Amino acid sequence: MIDPAWAWSPYEPGQNSWTRRQAAHLFRRAGFAASSEELDKAITQKPSELVSSLVNNRPETDEYQQEVSDLARSVLATADVKKLPAWWTYRFLTTNDPLREKTTLFWHGHFATSGDKVTDAKLMFQQNEMLREHALGDFGAMVHEISHDPAMLIYLDSATNRKAHPNENFAREVMELFCLGEGQYTENDIRELSRCFTGWEIRNGKFRFNRYQHDSGEKSIMGKKGKYGGEEGVKIVLDQKSAPYFIIGKLVRYFVADEPTPSNALLKPLADQFVDGNYQIGPIISKILSSNLFYSEHSVGHKVRSPIEFAVGFLRALNGSTNLNELTNGMSELGQIPFFPPNVKGWDGGRTWINSSTLLARANLIRNLLDRKETRFNQGSLGDFMDHLGAKSPAEIVESWEELYLAVDLPQEVKNQIANKVESGKGNREQKLRDALHLFCTLPEFQLS
Amino acid sequence: MPLSRRQFVALSAPAMMTFGASTPRFLAQAAEQAKQNRRENILVVIQMSGGNDGLNTVVPYENDEYRKARPTLAVSKNDILKINDQLGFHPAASGLNDLLQQNRLGIVQGIGYPNPNQSHFESMDVWHTCLRKSENRPDGWLGRAIDEMQVTQKRDVPALHLGNRKQPFALTSRTHRVPSVKSLKQFRLELQQRESLSDIRSNVSFSRPQSSSLLNFVQTSTDTAIDVSQKLQAVTSKYKTDVTYPETSLGNQLKTVAQLIDADFSTRIFYVEVEGFDTHSQQAAAHTALLRQVGGALSAFLTDLDEHDHGDRVLTLCFSEFGRRVTENASKGTDHGTAAPLFLAGNKVNAGLIGKHPDLDNLENGNLRHHTDFRQVYAGILEQWLNTSPKEILHGNYKPVDVVKS
Repeated sequence: MIDPAWAWSPYEPGQNSWTRRQAAHLFRRAGFAASSEELDKAITQKPSELVSSLVNNRPETDEYQQEVSDLARSVLATADVKKLPAWWTYRFLTTNDPLREKTTLFWHGHFATSGDKVTDAKLMFQQNEMLREHALGDFGAMVHEISHDPAMLIYLDSATNRKAHPNENFAREVMELFCLGEGQYTENDIRELSRCFTGWEIRNGKFRFNRYQHDSGEKSIMGKKGKYGGEEGVKIVLDQKSAPYFIIGKLVRYFVADEPTPSNALLKPLADQFVDGNYQIGPIISKILSSNLFYSEHSVGHKVRSPIEFAVGFLRALNGSTNLNELTNGMSELGQIPFFPPNVKGWDGGRTWINSSTLLARANLIRNLLDRKETRFNQGSLGDFMDHLGAKSPAEIVESWEELYLAVDLPQEVKNQIANKVESGKGNREQKLRDALHLFCTLPEFQLS
Repeated sequence: MPLSRRQFVALSAPAMMTFGASTPRFLAQAAEQAKQNRRENILVVIQMSGGNDGLNTVVPYENDEYRKARPTLAVSKNDILKINDQLGFHPAASGLNDLLQQNRLGIVQGIGYPNPNQSHFESMDVWHTCLRKSENRPDGWLGRAIDEMQVTQKRDVPALHLGNRKQPFALTSRTHRVPSVKSLKQFRLELQQRESLSDIRSNVSFSRPQSSSLLNFVQTSTDTAIDVSQKLQAVTSKYKTDVTYPETSLGNQLKTVAQLIDADFSTRIFYVEVEGFDTHSQQAAAHTALLRQVGGALSAFLTDLDEHDHGDRVLTLCFSEFGRRVTENASKGTDHGTAAPLFLAGNKVNAGLIGKHPDLDNLENGNLRHHTDFRQVYAGILEQWLNTSPKEILHGNYKPVDVVKS
């Protein structure tokens, strides 16, 4: 049993015990892995200060925001929804506000909507911008926004909803997937809530309330009775006791550990804070990322890298850049394409990322990237970059990769094997280094975060 | 659940054997094992995800309640492919109807389970594990079947999942890692000539005594992936077929399954998925396309199996996590329901209608009542087809449905 009071108290490392490895853990979870310079800077700050700046600052410059918005405009001009993943991947790779992107990705999986069905790139993009804006803000506001969101309502077959025979799909997902979790409501609650949403429509890509199709009669939802409309229905659902536990439980699983499922006793302090703080997300994430639990053995190495963390982290940790389309297409074989979640439940994550196909695809993606001349490290060769990092001997090079990439220590024999490839593999020095890095990325430890 | 040391060694044993051994010896072993497996029965599972509208698949075309409940979606009597004077197939299910005419399709009606759950994910988990959410669910029914079959005879790859998405819970085993293969072409480790596979293998399988259960899981999965990819590349290169499969995702997957069966790989369970059955809105066109896809692919698959002399030893189960609401909604679709038919296909199946159509005059909250538990079908498959004992695998005694011709 983990003591909840200990778990969520701030982690306060003693002198010299706040290490680069720990800061790397924070950046892997709060973002997509840190570069060596980022780690240098991180250990000059206290963990709590570092987390506070990740949560509260919006460091993206106007120029950067202009650049990504220009890119988005050129993608939207093609009206091809399949071009959106590369746009977001570019943001994952280049933003200096990684926690916001990481949390936006969390909400995208939570309020899963797929371009496969919606097909309208503009609506998918609008939803993405909305999630980014609210990512660390007010959960209640986000649920209200998502319930009027054209892409979401189209995805859930709820672009028309008439009073005679209401469509239950959206009401079901509001309870099961967005707010409460399966088992926290009855089938009758779903039917009653779906009556509240009658008259909600999407016309020409915009939300519209059609009062002629709204069922204005009395509804009975979760023990409450009234002539509720959709907004009031959502409010009743949000006010349920199980709502904060459901959301906090998912956040803890996302940021702390895939398994085991956290107990309600462990979640209670955060759930209480969430309710008292009117469902503000930022302070909760701040508490999670600066907690004892987060830096403990219960968390470090207890997540499977998602495909996006795997691919983006591979590059970000070594200041890498590559062909964006190759990278994005490769991610699809790994089992995750942003804007295209597999179903309304989003990506299950954890062990479900791992199977023989996705594991081979992980190794093959890295091989493909390393074989490309466009794949550069700090704008140059891997050899020059390892020199620049001061990693000279083969053993130092492997140590450096371990520090930047791995949550879990490698067995010394395995490190020796890889160092041996750096030293006496085949080909020129750059080829030896790249082959050794490929070997490094196929290790089981590399799949964990 | 962490593997014990003994289990871990058992898992990686085939891997250790190949690593270091010369390829011809390994191939000879595989061929030897294949000969023994030659006539073993095989189960193919087709999961129709999203909740298939059973009522519009096997249609009670003479029933007035059906027509009242489905003002826009009811199938016109003239289009029905008649099974008898009450029931008939949706016209798009002609592939299934052909199989029925050839006595190669069993339609098990009124399938469900008590206190039906109408969440896709929870209901699917119930079908996959045979247990409810409140119970401990470490593995799936096929995973347990694999564990039992492996006790009597070790197979390199007892089960295989086609696709690269999340693996079905049904296949989760406590001791075996079931490989997922999206396509045979992509199922290989790409290496530079400078690199050596044995370097990768030895570092992956190097013993990590302190490893966590998660690391152990990734390690054994990686080892299986590399091992199986090598074996598949070696055995599947010679396959030829004259059968034209429909150019659909299910068609391609079943073609790969036929190829793997013919390769005499020791696999006894194959699992494929077809998605899109969650037809809440504008159902007619979508459902037509889906039934055509399933019927077309299944019928090509059975023809192909026959041409390669495997028809008598393959049984295919098609199921969905639930049926749909009897009354259609205002979006010309149907919401989540409960009881529905499932399908069994193969030369040896107990063909025809099994069990009666659920009663449209006796609904429960607008849903059909089931009269046969899905675990009774599983029990039939386990006992009559896979020769395993259903009781432990299903966590209870279920009276088996006769799935095989007597």
